[in-house]
Amino acid sequence: MSSDLVMDTCLLAGSIILKNGGETYRTEETMARIAQAAGMDDVNSSATPTSIILSFRCRGLDHTRMVRTPSRTTNLNKITLVNDVSRRFVGGSITLEQAYLTLCEIDQKKPLYPKWMQHIAAAIASGSFAMLAGGTWFDLLPSALAGLTVILSLEYLEQFVRMKFFTEFSAALLGGLFALLAVTIFPELHISIIIIGAMLPMFPGIAITNSLRDLMAGDLVAGVSRGVEAMLTAVSVAVATAIILWFTR
Amino acid sequence: MLLKGLALSLVSSMAWCVLFNVPVRTIFAGGIAGMVGYVVYSLLPLLNAEVLLSTFVSAAIVSLLSQVMSIFLRVPSTNFSVAGIIPLVPGSLAYKAMLAFVNNDYIGGITLATKTMMVAGAIASGLIFGISVVTIVKGARHAGKRAQ
Repeated sequence: MSSDLVMDTCLLAGSIILKNGGETYRTEETMARIAQAAGMDDVNSSATPTSIILSFRCRGLDHTRMVRTPSRTTNLNKITLVNDVSRRFVGGSITLEQAYLTLCEIDQKKPLYPKWMQHIAAAIASGSFAMLAGGTWFDLLPSALAGLTVILSLEYLEQFVRMKFFTEFSAALLGGLFALLAVTIFPELHISIIIIGAMLPMFPGIAITNSLRDLMAGDLVAGVSRGVEAMLTAVSVAVATAIILWFTR
Repeated sequence: MLLKGLALSLVSSMAWCVLFNVPVRTIFAGGIAGMVGYVVYSLLPLLNAEVLLSTFVSAAIVSLLSQVMSIFLRVPSTNFSVAGIIPLVPGSLAYKAMLAFVNNDYIGGITLATKTMMVAGAIASGLIFGISVVTIVKGARHAGKRAQ
């Protein structure tokens, strides 16, 4: 079995997991398992939220490579698919070539749900969360629209502003302004409920869960850096909310 | 009233699943995780439970449930737990804290912000609790196999 193909397969699997919002311990474990199942000795893998290093020994020769993952999104479907491929390879039901080709296919895949469906989902999530937080039926539609404003501005500002936290801050500000506008036009709406609902699409749920799982797995660097990422997002949303609330005084 | 909460938590968790591109066959399971978490979260105060305790218990149940579902559906458990904790998010507490800061009530703001952090910590420790229970069970089984 050629060591180059093993290296390519492992790194591809690892970078797909890391790029799409997987935990770093899962990245390390998947790469190590594939390499071990391919018959490599002395396998070591290390991943942080931005880079992967893999090294192993093949017929007395050491191989090490590193890749960086500059941009990260969330696509749990791809992680599930990669998990499946690695499980099947380790179980012996597919060959290394098949695994590599399948991984290439997975890497090229478009998101499972089209953009408009995700925007509608964000609106629904905002609206129903606002109702859970104690809103009336009248607050449902404005909250959903505010959530839609937030997700749309997140999406489109990201292309111009390359800084994640400033994008989140501006999106929160725009969502808050929408809430403010809605309340100015219809004074019987509750601004608190609308803002609580509108900020939900920015809740760093995946960062928090992954950071905790990384910490639990003993991956302290990765866990702390993801935790800081989540905290920065929370703080930028909080500051934007405070600015909006200052207008309502 | 409870029925409305059930439907809303189900819908909002499922919408969150779509937002994170989880596989189609697991969307409904994610919604169920969120709904169960919300039910526990809203029923525990009837037994005189503190908000921290009820948040912790419901997050732990969501986490355990997602581990169990991940074994049955053969997908990573993140697929469910991310959506499942959404109904527990302390949105209104964080809002009240910000409102207090804006109104120059810094003492009240810090109190509410601390409370928000505590609830967030309760969610986090609940999640960790669920994960570690499963890890312990797995480890015990592994050790048992090795002893044979």
